[in-house]
Amino acid sequence: MIMPALWLWVGGLAATMAVLGLRAAWSRQHRSTTANALCWGFMGLALAIGWAAAGAWGMAVVSLAGTACAFILLAQAAITAPTGKASASTRRAHMLPEKGEALHLWRRIATFLLCVPVALAVALLLALAARAIASAAGWGEADSNVLTLFLMPLCWALLLFALLMTQGRRAQARVLAALASIPILILLLERLA
Amino acid sequence: MNSPIGKDAVKQALSAHAAIGLLASAMLYLVCLTGALAVISEEWQRIEQPDAPEMPAIAPEAVQKAVTQILDDEKALKKTSHLYVHLPTPGLPRTTITTDHRAVHVERTGEIAGREENGWTEFLGALHYQLHLPGIIGLAIVGILGVMMIALSLSGVIAHPRIFRDAFRLRARDRGGIALADWHNRLGVWTLPFSLAIALTGAMIGLASVTGYGLAASFYEGNLEKVYAPIFGGEGKLDAHDAPPPDVAAALRDMASRAPQAQPYYAIIHDPLTRGQHVQIIATHPRRLIFGEYYDFDAAGRFRGKAGLSDGALGQQVAASSYNLHFGNYGGLIVKIAYLAFGIALCAIIATGTSIWLGKRERRGLYHPRLRNGWDGVVWGIPAALGITLAVRLIAGQDAPLIPIFWSLLALILGLCIAWPPQRAAKPRLRQLLGFALAACLIGALLPQLG
Repeated sequence: MIMPALWLWVGGLAATMAVLGLRAAWSRQHRSTTANALCWGFMGLALAIGWAAAGAWGMAVVSLAGTACAFILLAQAAITAPTGKASASTRRAHMLPEKGEALHLWRRIATFLLCVPVALAVALLLALAARAIASAAGWGEADSNVLTLFLMPLCWALLLFALLMTQGRRAQARVLAALASIPILILLLERLA
Repeated sequence: MNSPIGKDAVKQALSAHAAIGLLASAMLYLVCLTGALAVISEEWQRIEQPDAPEMPAIAPEAVQKAVTQILDDEKALKKTSHLYVHLPTPGLPRTTITTDHRAVHVERTGEIAGREENGWTEFLGALHYQLHLPGIIGLAIVGILGVMMIALSLSGVIAHPRIFRDAFRLRARDRGGIALADWHNRLGVWTLPFSLAIALTGAMIGLASVTGYGLAASFYEGNLEKVYAPIFGGEGKLDAHDAPPPDVAAALRDMASRAPQAQPYYAIIHDPLTRGQHVQIIATHPRRLIFGEYYDFDAAGRFRGKAGLSDGALGQQVAASSYNLHFGNYGGLIVKIAYLAFGIALCAIIATGTSIWLGKRERRGLYHPRLRNGWDGVVWGIPAALGITLAVRLIAGQDAPLIPIFWSLLALILGLCIAWPPQRAAKPRLRQLLGFALAACLIGALLPQLG
């Protein structure tokens, strides 16, 4: 590693330039795919420089520089924005009933049960199955256990989102059943092996 | 340019975003606010006890003297399971020894200086880690909130197709909900990498117990210790027969030559005064995300090996890095300030989220004054209750019962807000309360200076 401190500065500068570039590219009247791609490419380069200079630590520091630059640009936008007359959104989120609508409390409780305890169990099964596969593929204990520790919350979050995006109780049940059956099968096979 | 996401998906994602947000927002706000404040926990400790002895470094012999003294003092008590020596660091240049029975500061010479008084910092940490709930319940709930945060980030991006296109647009002066929505969306999009990193590492740490039990039951015949041993190293063999104090000084001296680039910040004695005792030194490595490396020594201070967090399996390095990435203690004060700012931005995102939802309903003619006042009670009442608790600690001292004070205050504030006359807003009074709390904190912090 040659002069990691200098490279960190270069990475931080590149991240800042990427954010400034995005600011310019996104304020054009017509979006330019090339300009956007260039800026995102520059951001990727900045992160790569951070990684090359000081690994994960360098990457974290470089991304903080980019985020700090974006915050400064936002502060500038907040200070200079004129008073507008646009009307605010009234988009419905369908969380509480409108006037005269029923509350559907049991439906809400069922959604909660599916998304929280049931989805947690399925996510845990998925993570454990991934651990069994990793172990069978020759991964070390530390790697496969850490994979499981990270996969469980990640799978749960994705599953929670997928369930809430799926309309209809039957479709939700199908998603859960399909996702639960695969890891159960893998874990059973692992036991038998 | 047409959005690649269909209208129905956007609508459904907004419902999902609102559902998760409303379910978790109050708890998430509490966890994010306490997390943001906990980033500067070393600074809070120095505010709580400004006169504790400080030193840039401490000699191994002085540490040995203090350890021997503490173990001797506690001979009449039940043997402590662990003895922790916090060594001076640039962020907290203090030497502190903690056992199962007490925590004391140590002078540079190794003399015991007096009791450690960091009650509020401990209170804050316990609130963030486990919501003051017993065992792993609180930790798991905080982990679940991390999962909710990941899902909120994902659904937020899908529910707002213009979120990246408008990333630099902030109509802060618009009324009628525009400014609120812009703050929510802009802060949300720019803190996205930070939020995802914080949420995933927080969820992993919080739910490690749940996943760990699953791993233990499936692969280790129920032995939880075996799950973590390949990652962080195992505990030593127990041998409860009496033994003299271990040679911590030898271990610290060995560190100076074995890993001169590493900065030891903890010396841990496992099962002190028993034949099974051993010494573990935790040392940070410069420009690494890992919280440190465990260097293991026997009771005579002979090196036995290291856990491998710095150069072992990738999984070990990832696990050790997730803590610093979550807590923001990997780059000194600048990174801490950045984490504090992003943490406060997260609180603003959560606070504006529910307010936006309430505002939309009000614009459709559906008013919920009690819900509105209750939400304001959360947003302004939690920082006010935290501030009053800190002021109580600074004025009344270390032994003030901070946990009951905080929770009864918060319950009182929320109860009053919900019972507040619906035709009047509670927010102005809540802001006054927060101002009062901050003023009380300032007075409390200045009291020692005034003598």
